[in-house]
Amino acid sequence: MFAAAPELLSDLSRVYYSSLPLWITLLPLLTGIGLYFVKNSAETLRKVVSLLASLAVLVGVMLLLPMVLSGTVKYDLIDFMQMGLFFEVDLVGWIFAFLIAFIWSLATLFSFAYMDFEHNRRRYYSVLIFTLGATLGVVLAGDFFTLFLFFEMMTLSSFILVIHEQNREAMQAGILYLYLGIAGGLALLFAIMMLYSATGTVNIVPVLEDLGANRTLIYIMFLIGFGVKAGLVPLHIWLPQAHPVAPSPASALLSGIMIKAGAYGIFRVSLILFTSPGEIGAADASYLFNVGSVLMWIGIITMLSGAIMALLQSNMKRILAYSSVSQIGYIATGLGAAVFMGTEGAMGFAGAIYHIINHAFFKAGLFMMVGTIYLYTHELELSKLGGMFKKMPLVGITFIIAAFGIAGIPGFNGYPSKTLIHDALLIAIKFNDLFSIELAEKIFTLTSALTICYFIKLFRGVFLGPVPEKLDREYKLALSIKAVLTTFAAIIVAIGLFPNFILERFLVPPAEFLKYEGYAMDHLYHFNFFEWHPVEAMLVVIILAVVIYLPGAYRNWFSWQPPPWLSIYALLYRPLTHRLMILTCKAGLILDSSVDNAYNQSGSAARNMCDYVGNIDHGLDSFYHKWGLIGSKLAERSRDMDQKLDGFYQRSGQAARKLADKSADMDSALDKAYQKTGKAAQNLAKQSSDLDKAINVVYDQAGKKTRDEVEKRLAGKQEKHDKAESDKWSTKNLSFDNLLLVLVLGIVLFIIFYFGRSS
Amino acid sequence: MDQASIIIIMVVIVALPVVMTPVLMYICRISDRLRNGLAILTAAATFILTLLLYPFIRDGGVVQQSLFEILPNLEISIHLDILSFSLAALASFIWLLCTIYSIDYMAKEHACSRYYPVLIFTLGACQGIFFAGDLFSLFVFFELMSIIAYILIIHEQTEEALKAGYKYLVMTIIGGLALFFGIIIVFEIGGTVSLGVGVIIGEPSLLALIAFICFLIGFGMKAGMFPLHVWLPDAHPVAPSPASALLSGVMLKTGAYGLIRVVFHVYSVDLLRSSGWNNILAILAVITILLGSAVALTQTDIKRRLAYSSISQLGYVLLGLSILNNNALTGAVFHIFSHAFMKSALFLAAGAIIWKTGIRNINDMKGLGRLMPVTMGSFSLAALAMIGIPPLNGFLSKWTLALGALDAGMPGYVMVLLISSLLNALYYLPIIIPAFFESPEGEEINDHGDEGSHEVLFKIKEATPLMLSAIVILALCTIFFGLTPNNIIFSLSRLTALFLLGGGSF
Repeated sequence: MFAAAPELLSDLSRVYYSSLPLWITLLPLLTGIGLYFVKNSAETLRKVVSLLASLAVLVGVMLLLPMVLSGTVKYDLIDFMQMGLFFEVDLVGWIFAFLIAFIWSLATLFSFAYMDFEHNRRRYYSVLIFTLGATLGVVLAGDFFTLFLFFEMMTLSSFILVIHEQNREAMQAGILYLYLGIAGGLALLFAIMMLYSATGTVNIVPVLEDLGANRTLIYIMFLIGFGVKAGLVPLHIWLPQAHPVAPSPASALLSGIMIKAGAYGIFRVSLILFTSPGEIGAADASYLFNVGSVLMWIGIITMLSGAIMALLQSNMKRILAYSSVSQIGYIATGLGAAVFMGTEGAMGFAGAIYHIINHAFFKAGLFMMVGTIYLYTHELELSKLGGMFKKMPLVGITFIIAAFGIAGIPGFNGYPSKTLIHDALLIAIKFNDLFSIELAEKIFTLTSALTICYFIKLFRGVFLGPVPEKLDREYKLALSIKAVLTTFAAIIVAIGLFPNFILERFLVPPAEFLKYEGYAMDHLYHFNFFEWHPVEAMLVVIILAVVIYLPGAYRNWFSWQPPPWLSIYALLYRPLTHRLMILTCKAGLILDSSVDNAYNQSGSAARNMCDYVGNIDHGLDSFYHKWGLIGSKLAERSRDMDQKLDGFYQRSGQAARKLADKSADMDSALDKAYQKTGKAAQNLAKQSSDLDKAINVVYDQAGKKTRDEVEKRLAGKQEKHDKAESDKWSTKNLSFDNLLLVLVLGIVLFIIFYFGRSS
Repeated sequence: MDQASIIIIMVVIVALPVVMTPVLMYICRISDRLRNGLAILTAAATFILTLLLYPFIRDGGVVQQSLFEILPNLEISIHLDILSFSLAALASFIWLLCTIYSIDYMAKEHACSRYYPVLIFTLGACQGIFFAGDLFSLFVFFELMSIIAYILIIHEQTEEALKAGYKYLVMTIIGGLALFFGIIIVFEIGGTVSLGVGVIIGEPSLLALIAFICFLIGFGMKAGMFPLHVWLPDAHPVAPSPASALLSGVMLKTGAYGLIRVVFHVYSVDLLRSSGWNNILAILAVITILLGSAVALTQTDIKRRLAYSSISQLGYVLLGLSILNNNALTGAVFHIFSHAFMKSALFLAAGAIIWKTGIRNINDMKGLGRLMPVTMGSFSLAALAMIGIPPLNGFLSKWTLALGALDAGMPGYVMVLLISSLLNALYYLPIIIPAFFESPEGEEINDHGDEGSHEVLFKIKEATPLMLSAIVILALCTIFFGLTPNNIIFSLSRLTALFLLGGGSF
């Protein structure tokens, strides 16, 4: 039984090495950068290059097809950013790549007519083609590192597409988109890092057993990271704001393609990363059941709330944007069902991927149709539009086809994928008879009905009714627009009429490759979309839609505007971000300023202490100063005294000098007196000497006379005497001495003779 | 090259700028053009000489040489290993670009004859820090650079600048004293302060802990670590922009460099791990990261915002250092490079904007991207790198740091890094987005865009080619060293980490 339909079995295990994925990615990236340097005036060149680039990418993707039908294509650029750039394309990745390349080409073509009325086309085309490369990189990436690289690139470059109008509304929406995108990117990065640290690889391979205790955290982080981009509730809030404000071809790409990058990530994480290479143990199976249930319920909530919100909008593009949220809910539901069903999850897997394909076509088409209306009328509000069916019948017809597609009418492309997801839920009920899954199935049906309702509302508002006077003129659609819209309609119908082609060629082989088996797989091989059972389910939906729409339209339920405070933004995000922001900033500021304060305060404390010490110092100083003063006074006084003493001395000195002067005077007077008396005495002496001389003379004269007399007398006597003496020696002349001497001599002689003889 | 010529080159690298300082002072009197040329020439020569050391480093060479002794066991010595080389090359490269940028930027300013000699002197002191062979020499050059940089900070001589400079000076002196105390303790315990002996302190003790805290204070002050960062947001904005770029891009890194030396050459990794002292650093780093980012959000002066961002980014480096494993250390060293490129580019671009338009408040920068596309484009590139957008180099350093944190079993640190990245986005994107996508003074954009008139404005408003060249080179570095498969800086960082963790061998 399991070996049924062997002609469909194909071996996907071959590996091809080709650098084609790298070139497919690089070409638009480089072309995009190059386009920025094309002159403003070279309009044709820009258009041709853009279209050629996207077509070349499409051709490149088609060249990959033969390889991916029998295996995977790998390419490794070692050491790029130290982690290596790794491309790996399998069939599912190829489906995404094809969708991207194909719809991008159509959107580029559509831009030709649409953007002629817009400003700043140089930037637009450049970023448009650049984003193509980034988005392709996401789905061609072989590991999470490479995927993250392109994912971030896509976020940043698509931001420029979102804010293209650069009015207030666009800026606000774009900034919300960017911040959420970056926050999501960081969550993704965290998950990738945890994955790398736990398993040592960032490759997209089954690693559930190696993830360890943190696996729930890793899964949640992945879900947040990709969920922001995919627009899962409650991370969707950027989407209804950002998609409507972008130029329509960009909205088509954002809604049709780029949110699928998020879905693609969720698919890779849920169905490949969080599985085991071999048999899944019982504990892991129940873990996966929980994970899948959570994912499915997120999907269910997303689809329902998206549909309700879409129903309440009055702006064409906002309806479509909320519709995208709702449709992403279908995809998440399908993926969730695939996860919790384990090996029986083939139906959910096929439904989710199929819906991704279908949604890309009809949502991109719808945005371009609505964009065409806007291009010619410059109106987005339903209340100001109407009767366009008559004015633009081609748009009206293609719109009906696309709406049938999204509503899931049999014969159009939404029907097979919704049927597959619905069947996945039915099989789940069959295997696990749980109330929650039954409830999910009911909500699924309700949502499908609501989808029909809001499309009736949209169609009525735009295409039916009277034409407003302002818009009552002839419209001539550009050829490129006609071609693009017709292509979309044709594809929608083609898939709707031959749903098994895609299922058998592109969905069953990867399902086999993912080792799905059992009842669901068996069911998938033989799936017949046009038997009574699925058509019946669809009829139920249509009847339910009529039941809801008729009273709703009659009582004007659908123009009810929820109060602003009810929005998830007002309820969750604004308070959260506001509080967090204030908390962070305040905490930071308080901490910073308190540190600063602490320094300042310790500084001023130190200053105070210094002042105190300074005061003491000052006191000491003044103490010294005081004593110094006293000392100086004392000194002054002693100086005074000294001066006085000095004066006294001086005076006494003067007095002494005077005294001395006087005594000198007296002395000199005395001297004079002495001199005088001396002179007098001299005179006296002279006089007395004169007297003496005179006396002397007298005496002399008297003496002379006497002496003469005497001499005369003596002369006579002497003469006689001299004569006597000179004639004879006599005794008379002999003195006594001589006598004594002679005597002594005689004695001596005697003695000598006497004793000499006797001897 | 043999050891002797390596030593001569190293001495010349340090001595050349110092010797050129008085020459520049003299030349100032003769000719301004000659002075400018000579300043650039000196910086270029220093850079080229530093690059000459590369072959030696590539072969795993290490030099430790004592030049002369001051006291017994206390000498001025030089040390060269891969870490010294990396930082010296980085510093001289950024210095060269900032000097080139200064030529036009400072032409309007006063006191250029003071500015250039001081600029070149600090280069010499900075190279001296990286080539110092022991803690004492390191301390000497560290103080020289810190004190002389004061003159750069107060260049404007406004009251604000003087106040900020005073704060800087006081903090520098406190840090210097703490450092000195730490070095004395190390000398007391180990009997040497040389970097060439491997590990100086092997046993945990109270004194060793005190020394560690002293080093944290001394080097952490320079690196802007909480709670010693208070001087930074005041000092960086008031300095002339090329000086701010150098302060933020290079001089902060000397603090990180000192801490790396302390962690790996004074203490052993095992000691820090077993005693848990690295947690002190880790906690302070985490606070620094979050605080810097949070406060940056509240600043409206662009240079103050950048200064707070620097605090936060240096926190990454310190966090990476504190984790003490291979990936984290690689990330920390690589982030030193990344941050030098990014933050210098940001400061120089902000300087060009202020120079050209006088706008400092980020709310007035709407539409600037169209008027100064090259400047603003480089600013955006560097800012995106700061946020950590791949494939720019900031992403690579955060990635590596985060892997290191996860290797150490610390997912909390990764959360801190990512929250900080988000905050980075929150404070950089409001500068970039209005600059490119909004028009000045609420003037609505013409639906059919007459871009011709903008182009006329653009020719008028862009800064001079010399200034632009410096900005653009730095901005291109942020791409190149993120994207290139043969990432020489990343290899250097990885080798440095291996070298340090391997205790002196690869």
